[in-house]
Amino acid sequence: MEIVRDPQTRTGSDAVDVRASAQPTDRLEVSRKGPPVVSLKGLSKHYGENVVLDKVDLDVSAGEVVAMVGPSGAGKSTLLRCINLLEVPDAGTVTVGDQCVDAGKEVSAKDAMRLRRTAGMVFQSFNLFPHLTVLRNVSLAQERVLGRSRAEADARSMELLERVHLAHKADTYPARSSGGQQQRIAIARALAMDPQVMLFDEPTSALDPEVGLEVLAVMRELAESGMTMIVVTHEIPFARDVSDRVVVMADGGIIEQGEPHQVINNPQHERSQRFLRAVTER
Amino acid sequence: MEHVSAVLLGVPYTLLVTVVALAIGAVLGLPLALARRSPLAVLNVPARVVIDVLRGIPPVVWLFIIFFGIGNQFVTLDPIQAGSLGLGLISAAYLAEIYRSGLGAVHSGQWEASSALGLSRTDSMVRVVGPQAFRVALPAASTYAIGLLKDSSVVSAIGVADIVFQATGDSRATGAALAPFLVAAAIYILLGTPLAIASRRMDSRLRMRVAR
Ligand SMILES: Nc1ncnc2c1ncn2[C@@H]1O[C@H](COP(=O)(O)OP(=O)(O)O)[C@@H](O)[C@H]1O
Ligand SMILES: [Mg+2]
Repeated sequence: MEIVRDPQTRTGSDAVDVRASAQPTDRLEVSRKGPPVVSLKGLSKHYGENVVLDKVDLDVSAGEVVAMVGPSGAGKSTLLRCINLLEVPDAGTVTVGDQCVDAGKEVSAKDAMRLRRTAGMVFQSFNLFPHLTVLRNVSLAQERVLGRSRAEADARSMELLERVHLAHKADTYPARSSGGQQQRIAIARALAMDPQVMLFDEPTSALDPEVGLEVLAVMRELAESGMTMIVVTHEIPFARDVSDRVVVMADGGIIEQGEPHQVINNPQHERSQRFLRAVTER
Repeated sequence: MEHVSAVLLGVPYTLLVTVVALAIGAVLGLPLALARRSPLAVLNVPARVVIDVLRGIPPVVWLFIIFFGIGNQFVTLDPIQAGSLGLGLISAAYLAEIYRSGLGAVHSGQWEASSALGLSRTDSMVRVVGPQAFRVALPAASTYAIGLLKDSSVVSAIGVADIVFQATGDSRATGAALAPFLVAAAIYILLGTPLAIASRRMDSRLRMRVAR
C-alpha cells in the first residue's frame, strides 16, 4: 500500500495484535525517528477580542499519531483548520511536508491549495457531497486537483473503498449509508489525495457509540499502516491505545503532552486533571 | 368559437416572450447572484442596487421606458424585443435572489470539504455547491417561471400581439365583453398546468436521488 512509510515498524493487517501488546515506550522511540511532517511555530489566531490560539508550537513526526484532547472551546478545531488553511492564522508558521506558510506574508491561493491537499481532513459532520455517488465523492478531487483520468481515479477510489470495507456502496448516494459508513467514505475521500497527514476533528462525536467503533477501527488500521495523524477526540481508549502522544489543549494553548498512559492516568496540570476526570469517569 | 381561434393567435407570442425573458434572466441572474454574495462591497452594493431597482419599478413602466425611451433613441427595438428584454432584466433580478437563497441553503461544510480536498473556488462552485443550490432553487424558480407566463401579458401594453392583446382586440372587434377573456383565462390555465406538473416531477426526482 502506498502510504506505508515505515514498514519495519508498522506491519500489515496483523499489526493490530502487535500494537496491542507493544510497550508504549517502543512506540515513542519509533515515532520520534521520523522528520516532522507537520510543524507549527508560534501559531496564533484570534476572532475579535477572543484569542483562540496563543503562540502554539507543535511538531508531528512522520508516522506519528497524535491524539488531541481538551474542553470545548479550547481551540482544537481552529488548530486543525489552521493546519490546512481553512482558517488563516494571524501569526506564526505552518509547515506541512515541504510546504511552508508564513502567516505574516500574503498566502497565494495556489500555495494554500497545495498545502491543503497535503493534509487530509475528516470532519465531525462527514460533509460528503450528497448529489454525487459514493464513488464520485472519492474520485472528484483526484480528477480536478491531481489531474488523474477518470479511470485512474475510479480505480484508486475502489481500492480505498475496499480498504474502509464499503466497496459495495460505490454506486449509491451517500444518503443511503449510515453515519458510520459515511464517515468511512469521508476517510477514503481524504486518503484519495495521498495526503502526508490526516487531520480528524472529532470524527465519532456525531455517531452512536457502537457505530463510532467501526470508524475507530478504520482509523486504527490507518495508524497501523504508518499514516501520520492528528486526531481531536474524546475517545480516551483510542487515545490511550492507538496514539503515540496525547496533547491536552485548553484556553488556546497546549497545557500538557506526552506518552498516552502517562498523560491519561497521571495528568500533571490541574486543568488536564479536571478535564480527563470528566471524560474518563462518565 | 371564433373567439378561440382569434385569441389562440397570441399563444406563440406569449410563449416566445416568456421563454426569451426566462433565458435572459437565468443567464444574467447568475453573475448578479454571485456579485450579491460577494464579501467585496464594490460588487455586492451595486448588485443590490440593481436588483432593488429592477424589482422596485412596475414591469409596465420598465417596458415603456425601454420601448419608448431606449428603443426610439439609441437602438431600434420592436415590441417583442423590448418586451423580452424588459421582462428578461426583471427576471434576472428575481432569479438572482432565488439563486442566492439556493446558494445560502447549501451547508457551509460543503465549501469546507471542497477546500480541504484542494478544489479551487470555481470547482467548488461548479461541481459541489452549484448543483446542490440548483436543486434547492428549482421549486422557487419554476414557480417564478409559471408566474412569468401569466405576467408576460404586460407586454400587450407596448403592442406585442400576445394572448391578452388578441383578446382585447377580439373584444373590441366583436363587442363581446366577457367571452374573449374567458378564452384567454382557459388558455393560460392550459399552458401553465403542464409546466407545474413537469416542475413538480423534476423536483421529486432530484429529491429522490439525493435525499438526505
Ligand atoms: N469563525 C469563528 N468566529 C468567531 N469565533 C470563533 C470562530 N470559530 C471558533 N470561534 C471561537 O474560537 C474558540 C475555539 O473554538 P474551537 O476551535 O472550535 O474549539 P474546540 O474545537 O476546542 O471546541 C471558541 O471560543 C469559539 O467560539
Ligand atoms: Mg471543535
